[in-house]
Amino acid sequence: MRLRHPLIAVAALAATAVLGACSPSAPTDNNAGAASDATLTIATTTDVVNFNPLIGNSRTDNWITSLMYPRLLSISADGKKSPLLAKDYGFTDPMTAFWNLRDDMKWSDGKPVTADDVAFTINSILRDKPAGNTTYGQLVNVDSASAPSPTRVELKLKKPDSTVVTEVGFWMNVVPKHVFEPSGNVAKFANDKDWVSSGPFKLTNVAKGQSYTLERVTPYPFAPNNTPVVSKIVYRVYPDINTEILALKNGEVDLIANALPPAQVKNLQSTPGIKVQEIPGLGYAHMTYNMKHPALADVKVRQALAHAVNYEAIRSVVLQGQAVTTGSSPIPPVLTEFADPTSKEYEFDVEKSKQLLTEAGYGPSKPLTLTMIYSLQDAVTSQWANLVKDDAAKAGITINLQGMDRNTYLAKTDAGEYDIYAGNFAIMDDPTTNMALTYLPGGAINYTLVDDPALNSLITQAQGTTDKAAQKQFVQQAAKLVRDNVYDNVMYMQNLYVAHSDKWSGFVVKPSELLSVVDPQSLANAKKS
Amino acid sequence: MTQVVRFTARRLGRALLTVWFAVTVTFLLLRLLPGDPALAVASPNMTPAARLELLRQYGLDQPLLVQYGKYLWELVQGNLGISFARQVPVSEVLMERLPWTLLLTFTALLLTVAVGIPLGVLAATRPRGFLDRFTQVGGVIGQSLFVPSVGIFLLFFLGLKLHLLPIGGSYSPGVYGAAWYLDVAKHLVLPCVSLMLVQLGSYVLTLRSTLIDALGEDYCVLARAKGMPNRKVVWKHALRNALLPTTTLVGLQLGYLVGGAVLTETVFAYPGIGRGIYEAVTQLDFPVLQGAFVLLAVTVVLANMLTDLTYGVLDPRVRTA
Repeated sequence: MRLRHPLIAVAALAATAVLGACSPSAPTDNNAGAASDATLTIATTTDVVNFNPLIGNSRTDNWITSLMYPRLLSISADGKKSPLLAKDYGFTDPMTAFWNLRDDMKWSDGKPVTADDVAFTINSILRDKPAGNTTYGQLVNVDSASAPSPTRVELKLKKPDSTVVTEVGFWMNVVPKHVFEPSGNVAKFANDKDWVSSGPFKLTNVAKGQSYTLERVTPYPFAPNNTPVVSKIVYRVYPDINTEILALKNGEVDLIANALPPAQVKNLQSTPGIKVQEIPGLGYAHMTYNMKHPALADVKVRQALAHAVNYEAIRSVVLQGQAVTTGSSPIPPVLTEFADPTSKEYEFDVEKSKQLLTEAGYGPSKPLTLTMIYSLQDAVTSQWANLVKDDAAKAGITINLQGMDRNTYLAKTDAGEYDIYAGNFAIMDDPTTNMALTYLPGGAINYTLVDDPALNSLITQAQGTTDKAAQKQFVQQAAKLVRDNVYDNVMYMQNLYVAHSDKWSGFVVKPSELLSVVDPQSLANAKKS
Repeated sequence: MTQVVRFTARRLGRALLTVWFAVTVTFLLLRLLPGDPALAVASPNMTPAARLELLRQYGLDQPLLVQYGKYLWELVQGNLGISFARQVPVSEVLMERLPWTLLLTFTALLLTVAVGIPLGVLAATRPRGFLDRFTQVGGVIGQSLFVPSVGIFLLFFLGLKLHLLPIGGSYSPGVYGAAWYLDVAKHLVLPCVSLMLVQLGSYVLTLRSTLIDALGEDYCVLARAKGMPNRKVVWKHALRNALLPTTTLVGLQLGYLVGGAVLTETVFAYPGIGRGIYEAVTQLDFPVLQGAFVLLAVTVVLANMLTDLTYGVLDPRVRTA
C-alpha cells in the first residue's frame, strides 16, 4: 500500500500543474454587430520570439507584428513600391528625404498615427541599435528624423542615399511613441502585453508556443468600409510544413502561411477543398565563389564553374518547374522597373568549362578541388548541391559538399570559411541597396568578398542619384559586371506557393513569403464564403 | 533517526555537487557550440560594430572565467538571466512551458505505471501463457519504437484519417471554461499515448522478470506452504521485493520529466520545455538553455534522491549502505 502514496503525491502535483496553467478567460466582444464574426486560422512553423517589431527578426514575428504596426510603404505584385501609411515620398534635396503621411490612421487607444511616431521609431533605432532590426542597416546614411508637421517626416542624411526613403519605408514598422518611449530603450522593450495597434488586427490572447489570437481594429482604411472583414485571426504553431498540411486537410487551419515545398504543390493542387495560390518570389538562389581563394580569384575559374551547372535541370527536377531564370543577373525579373531582359544565363557546357579551366592552368595534371557549404535546414539547396557536385565532376572539378546546421553555416559564412557558398536571399526588393550589401567591400552579405573599383563606382552612383532613369542604368551596368565576372552565380528565382481552404477568398497577393497573402492588406480583405 | 539524517545529508551533499557539475559542464558546452548568438539573433545586414555591441550586451565579450563567475553568482541568487532572443527573464520563459511538460510527462508516467505494473504481474503469474507471450513480444516491440515515428503514425491515423484527435498544440484557441479542460485532455491523448507505447515495455518486462524470480524465493514458497492465498503472496510479499528495479525505472523516468520529451513535444507542437529547448538551440539563446538544463539537472538529482529514499522505505538494508 505504501507505494501508492508517492503516486498520489505525483498525481496531485500533476493536477496542480494543470490548474496552474488554468483555463483562459473568454475575451469580451468589442465588435458586436460588426461585418463578419468569422475567424481565419493560419498555420506557421515558428513560434513568436518577440512582440517588439523593432527587435523581432523571425518570420512569424514579422507576420504578427505587421498586423499591428504599419509600414510606410508596401510592394505590389509587379515589385513596385506602393503607398501605405505614406501617401507620397521623395527628396527635397540630395541630403533631405521625406514622407507625407495619410491622416486617417489611428492607434487602437484612439490616438492618431502621426509623423511624430515615425520620427520616434527611426531615431530610437538609430540610438538603441536593436538586434535583429533590418532597418538599422538601412539607416547607415541617416543622421536623424524629424516631424515638421503631424503628417510630414523628414530625414536628414549624412550623404546622398536614393534608396533610404523606399527601403526604410518598406521594411520599418512604425510603433506608437506614447507606448514605446516610456521604456527608455526600445531594444530592451519586450512589448509582451497591453498592445496598442493601428490595425487591421490587435493581439488579444497569447498561448506561448501554440497560438496567437488577434482581433480586428477599426478604422482600418485599407479594408472594405474601413473594417477588416474577419473578426479574428489566429496563428497556430506547428512543428513543420508536413504537420501544417495535415492540419489544413483536417480543417484545423484555413491557411498555411509558410511556402509549400516544391514536391507538395502538385499534390495539394489536386486535393479537394484546398486551393493553392502562386506567390511571386522576390529573392534568388545563388552560389558565391570566395575570391580570397587563389583559384577562385581567377575569373576564368569562376566562369568555368558557372558553365558547369545544369540550371535548367535544377529548376525542372528539384524545383519541379516552380522557378525562373534571372539570366544569371542579381536583379530578379519580378522587379520590372530594373530587370534587364537581355541578360543571358550561363550555358551548361562541360566542354567550355574544361577549356576555361585549362586556360586558367587547371586540368588532369593540376586538379581543382573546392568545398561548398550549405545549410541542411534548406531542403531545396541540399538537393541541388548534389546536382552541382555531379555536374562539376564532369568538367573535372571536385566539389566536396559540407552541409551543416544553420548556426554553423552562418558562423562559417561570417568568417569566410568556404570556397563556395550556396544559399539564397529571400527578399531582394531594391537592387541598389542589395548590391551595396552584396558587392561593396565591407557589405554585410558580400560573401564573394569582391572589391572591384568599377562595380563599386556604379553602385555608389546608383545610391547617390535620385534620378530613376539614371539609377536604372547604373544598376543594370552593375548587374552586367556581376554576371560577366561571376561575382555571384545567380541560379534562379523561385516562385512560391501557399495553400488555403477553398472556403476562403479575397486574399491580396504580394511578392515573397514575408508578405504573400498574410500581408495586413490581404488579411483585412480575406473573407469566408 | 541519526542514521536516516546521515543518509539524507549524504545524499543532499552529493546532489549539490552533481548540480554544480552539471551547471559547469552545460556552461562550457554551450560556448563550444558552433555559431554565434549575435548572428543567430541579428538581422543579416547588421554591421560588424552593431554585432560587437550586441555581444557586449550579452556579456559574451568578457573572458570565459568572468562570464562563468558572474553566471554562478547570479545563479546562487536565483537569477537565471535574461533571454537573448526575447529580452524577458529566463524564469518567465521556462514557467510558461513547465506546466505543460509536467502535465504531459506526469500523466504519461502515471498511466505507464498504472498499466505496466498490473500487466507485469499478470504476465509473471501466468508464465508462458498467452498474456505472457503477448506482453513479451509487445514489450520488446515497444522498446524498439522511435517516439517520433510513433507520433507521426498516430497523427496520421487518429488525427488526419479518423479525425478523432487534434493534430497539435495543447488546446484549441477560442475554447473557454469547462470545455477547455476537455480540450486539453483531447490534445494530451496522442503525445501521452506515444510516450506510453515506448515506455510501457520496460516496466512490464522488468517487473515480469523480477517477480518470477521473487515468486521462486524460499519466503514465497514458505508463505504458500503456510496456506497463504496466492494473491496475497504475489501482491504483499513478492511484489514488494520485485518492485526495486521498477522503482529505479520510475526514478530514471522522473529525471527526464522536464526535458525528456523533446522529440514528442516537437512532433506534436506541444508547448513544453522540450520544444522550448529545441527553439533555444536554433536561436543559440544561452541563458534559456542554461536555465533549462539547470532545471533538468535539479529534476534528475531530485528524482534520484527520491528513488534512494524510496529504496530505503522498500528495503531497510539500503538505509545502512
